[in-house]
Amino acid sequence: MTLLTVENLTLEFDTDEGRITAVNNISFEVNSGEVLGIVGESGSGKSVTAKSVMQLNPSNSVYSSETKILLEVDGESVDVLALRGGKELRTVRGGSVSMIFQEPMASFAPAITIGAQMVEQLLLHKKISKAEAIKISIEMLDKVGISDADKRFKQYAFELSGGMRQRAMIAMALSTNPKLLIADEPTTALDVTIQAQVLDLMKDLVVEFNMGIIFITHDLGVIAQTADRVAVMYLGELVEQGSVRQVLKNPTHPYTQGLINALPKLDDLDAPLTPVPGDIPSPLERPPGCVFHTRCALAEPRCSESIPQMTNHGEGHSAACFVTAEKAEAL
Amino acid sequence: MLKFLKFTLTRAALSLITLLIISFIVFTLMEMVPGNCAERYLAFKNTAGQNITILDIAAEERRLGLDKPFLVRWGTWTGNVFFKGEFGESCILRLNINQILSDKFWISLGICFAALFFSYLVAIPVGIYSATTTNAISNNVIRFISYLGLALPNFLLALIIMLFSTIYFGESLTGLFSKEFRDAAWSLAKFQDFLSRAWLAIFVLGWSATAFAMQTVRALMLDETSKLYVTAASARGLYGRKLLWRYPARHSMGPVINSLGFDLNRIFNELPVVALILTLTEAGALLIEALARSNDQQLAGAIIFLLTASIVLMNFITDIMLALMDPRIRKGLIG
Repeated sequence: MTLLTVENLTLEFDTDEGRITAVNNISFEVNSGEVLGIVGESGSGKSVTAKSVMQLNPSNSVYSSETKILLEVDGESVDVLALRGGKELRTVRGGSVSMIFQEPMASFAPAITIGAQMVEQLLLHKKISKAEAIKISIEMLDKVGISDADKRFKQYAFELSGGMRQRAMIAMALSTNPKLLIADEPTTALDVTIQAQVLDLMKDLVVEFNMGIIFITHDLGVIAQTADRVAVMYLGELVEQGSVRQVLKNPTHPYTQGLINALPKLDDLDAPLTPVPGDIPSPLERPPGCVFHTRCALAEPRCSESIPQMTNHGEGHSAACFVTAEKAEAL
Repeated sequence: MLKFLKFTLTRAALSLITLLIISFIVFTLMEMVPGNCAERYLAFKNTAGQNITILDIAAEERRLGLDKPFLVRWGTWTGNVFFKGEFGESCILRLNINQILSDKFWISLGICFAALFFSYLVAIPVGIYSATTTNAISNNVIRFISYLGLALPNFLLALIIMLFSTIYFGESLTGLFSKEFRDAAWSLAKFQDFLSRAWLAIFVLGWSATAFAMQTVRALMLDETSKLYVTAASARGLYGRKLLWRYPARHSMGPVINSLGFDLNRIFNELPVVALILTLTEAGALLIEALARSNDQQLAGAIIFLLTASIVLMNFITDIMLALMDPRIRKGLIG
């Protein structure tokens, strides 16, 4: 079942230096029980894309009129961008959509106990008593694998370890039974063993709660472990989309190919690292044509003139590149 | 609870040790003034026409105990201050310092605390509003007034207000008491009379303190509002006033509390100038008089010690308040 439909999302920031395009005309879907991974370098617009589902972008954001973000809530389709004011926005803020952030330490208020923040959220979204909210919170903490949950409930974020904090954050995000969970680099700040535990936990929870997850990361390894489908973003554009297997085994966009080649190879330690050449351009100077042509090894003159459209490569796998699309056709 | 009591007691003990060190510094400074109390007093008498000999000075030094070693003198002075609350005699005036200071110090402290209290009473809500409002006009008005408070010297403000009150109300606002209460004992009527005049000093001192505190609150609020936990809280569905007060406002209060001791000192330093204009009788002006004009080291030392003691007390209170408010500090200190 399609849970979230994003169509033609274009988002600009109105700044003193003019309009800055953060996301340009991207479309994707998330189904219930599915993890969509969004990959890209910093500045590629992946967080901005995810935040627009909750209207969490700063007040100078301007969405284009073609932008449509539709969320299925109890059989009804909610037009997210039509929601106005704090009360209406609660549907997508902590109600049907929850978000967990990169830094669990910074996402808890330092001087309020974890329990108080959980109870506060529950009371905002559910018609339950405080006693029930406390019970649900402690159960959730227990469920995400926090020992001594009733003791942790009364503690502050700074008293917990990094992995524990991220578990508590997940517990808080899931306590209201959201349909969609947005995880913005949830494991980047954790060390590898803790990262694996948190990823396993999240995978189990998708199945149990039948949620959709948008998983944002720059780490292809994490994507390979967690995501069902993956969307690759570059400078606010969606350049490739498909199932994890298709995209990682058979990358079609030169940028995706570059990202995969840039991974260190554990089986060949002497192999030189091959980073994607050059730097991501400033959003103030978006290249004309294909945004990636300034760093692309396959670039041709037409790449700087016209914008490539998404080409279907079968079974929902698509990429936006002239050159590889023609090569695929020739085969 | 027991641990908190222990923490409070430790802080109190630390404050006392600080006071002891301060007493040593103050006493040493008093001693470093060229000449001693005996010489100064006799020189003063000399100018009044009496003949003074070396023997007179030696006799006076013995009487005042100035022939004893430095540490003994410090011990005696500190002991008297700590246990009896006695500051001894003024060098020049030959009067008990406690009597000279009596009301003056408390009045000064009262005015400073009142100015501090009112400035934060205004600065906290206005600073928070100014940091969060999107209304450009009200924000600019607030900022203009606050810059005026920072830029306009206190004495000028006092003069302007006095000028207006004299021209339009025909009333001079100088002094802290009306004639009939000046030498009267404290009573409710005298206190009311005091308040009816002290508000001007409090207002003038409070104005710049408010401007200063408001800028602090505003900057802290802007800092807190941009933090991730505020975004996270709004992602959980909080908004409006509830989000504002429970999250950024609450968390920006720590540094505000921390600056209270410093602000008290700043206000006290500004008090003499204002007092001079408004012809108030207060301790700051007395300190300047004692330090700069008459070289009355005993009196100056007493005032400096009392002032630093008030600041130490203020810092003790803010430490306790911070620990009560911020679990990071509380748990770090008492587990």
